[in-house]
Amino acid sequence: MSPVLSRRDIGRLAVGVAAATVLGAGPARAARKVDVVVVGGGFGGATAARYLKQFAPGLSVVLVEQNRTFHTCPFSNLVLGGLRQISDIAHTYDRLSDRFGVEVVHQRALALDVETRTVRLADGSGIGFEKAVLSPGVDMRWNALSGYDEAASEVMPHAWKAGPQTVLLRRQLEAMVDGETVIIAPPANPFRCPPGPYERASLIAHWLQQNRPKSKVLILDAKDGFSKQGLFMQAWSGLYPGMIEHVPARDDGRIVNVSASGRWVETAFGTRHSGGVINIIPPQWAGAIARDAGLANADGWCPVDPTTFASEMAPDIHVIGDAAIAGQMPKSGFSANSQGKVAAANIVRVLAGEAPVSGSFANTCYSLVAPDYGISVAKVYRSTQDGIIGIDGSGGLSPMDGGAAVRAHEARFAEGWYASITRDMFG
Amino acid sequence: MIRNIAVAVCLTVFVSGPAAAGDVTEAAVLALSCAACHGPGGASPGSIPAIDRLTPSEIVAALRAFRSGTRPATVMDRIAKGYSDAEIAQLSGQFGKGR
Repeated sequence: MSPVLSRRDIGRLAVGVAAATVLGAGPARAARKVDVVVVGGGFGGATAARYLKQFAPGLSVVLVEQNRTFHTCPFSNLVLGGLRQISDIAHTYDRLSDRFGVEVVHQRALALDVETRTVRLADGSGIGFEKAVLSPGVDMRWNALSGYDEAASEVMPHAWKAGPQTVLLRRQLEAMVDGETVIIAPPANPFRCPPGPYERASLIAHWLQQNRPKSKVLILDAKDGFSKQGLFMQAWSGLYPGMIEHVPARDDGRIVNVSASGRWVETAFGTRHSGGVINIIPPQWAGAIARDAGLANADGWCPVDPTTFASEMAPDIHVIGDAAIAGQMPKSGFSANSQGKVAAANIVRVLAGEAPVSGSFANTCYSLVAPDYGISVAKVYRSTQDGIIGIDGSGGLSPMDGGAAVRAHEARFAEGWYASITRDMFG
Repeated sequence: MIRNIAVAVCLTVFVSGPAAAGDVTEAAVLALSCAACHGPGGASPGSIPAIDRLTPSEIVAALRAFRSGTRPATVMDRIAKGYSDAEIAQLSGQFGKGR
């Protein structure tokens, strides 16, 4: 838990940091100083920046985000399935700056110095801060899967960060010859968006059914089971009979080696699979800026306080979203949004000299299996001394016997959720 | 150099104006999760019902009915089970006519 400082304490610290920054800056320009720097403008960071200003308009809040346009991972599977254009999932930061007074700096944040409390930007300048919120998302662990490096991802896209990778995978699907196989290879847990690979298989199958009817989807899985498995399997047998094959790890589904030039993947027991389109979703870890700052554990994820999201390694740095170890919460955009608000609330309280309040969180992950067929998993969470835990009896899955009307209703609510959460993030 | 330090210190004092944490109560934090589906402040821009025009008693009645299963739902029956009577009372003051 973050120590609660008086304004005088904070002032003294600020003087020290400002002086140290100026004296130690070397060739780089002296760092200016703001109250809160947010690094990363996705579901966690954009939300945190908005709510920091909403709660405390007097705070100076800088959001550092290298891209001017943000493409959401949620609904990027609809782009792959031809149901949306890439522009439909694009968002800008204009309203965060115009309506909420967030200063948005479109530069890459190269490093975060925990000691001097400074974020170093690509142009050599620095921004000092009282508090930082890191929401860097995930990085792909290149070469954790033999043969899968950044160059290979241009041949076998991961499309696990939305944008150019999504467009690339979509173009590959459009170029497929009827009868070829689409291979999707999801990683072991933990990873971003646990139901995402299976929604992707669904919506690709939906497109194939209408456009490449002899083709099928082969899921080579590093896991034995997956999120919403019963609901997905039930939907697939009804909507896409014989079109989606899921091979769990125990049946030699786990791939250990890929060849981008040969366009094949190889499983743990040496079976090679070729595909017309190969989508590798590789192992992941926290974004580099968090790992490089020493905020991650040996597995590459960031331990945090379950109430304030203050890093266990550096109490003035709050890590939210996929990069953080948030107890039982899944790595989802909804989770990151929920965490961003609680972190913002408690940063505002602590800066005002008040104690943090216990966090309350929710997560509802909708998956579209077809345009009019939605399923979901939900849970309510609280901060406790044992970490963030789900409330017993809350949440759970859509009913297996829901019927077409319920599935259609949830599909409409998935779209409603997208409209709401992107408004919540970007204003 | 001395002047630079003085400038930096002044800037620091200037930008670190007092934060107003009075509105960031436990009840407000409890209600933050709702916005992801129901929109900021409960003003849903899409197909999910808005909750920003409900009275506190309407919110309490709805959440209790979702929780007990007497009001059918797709997901609110599952969500409402995560909140106690006391928390539902807190939530009811955070939206629409309760604010």
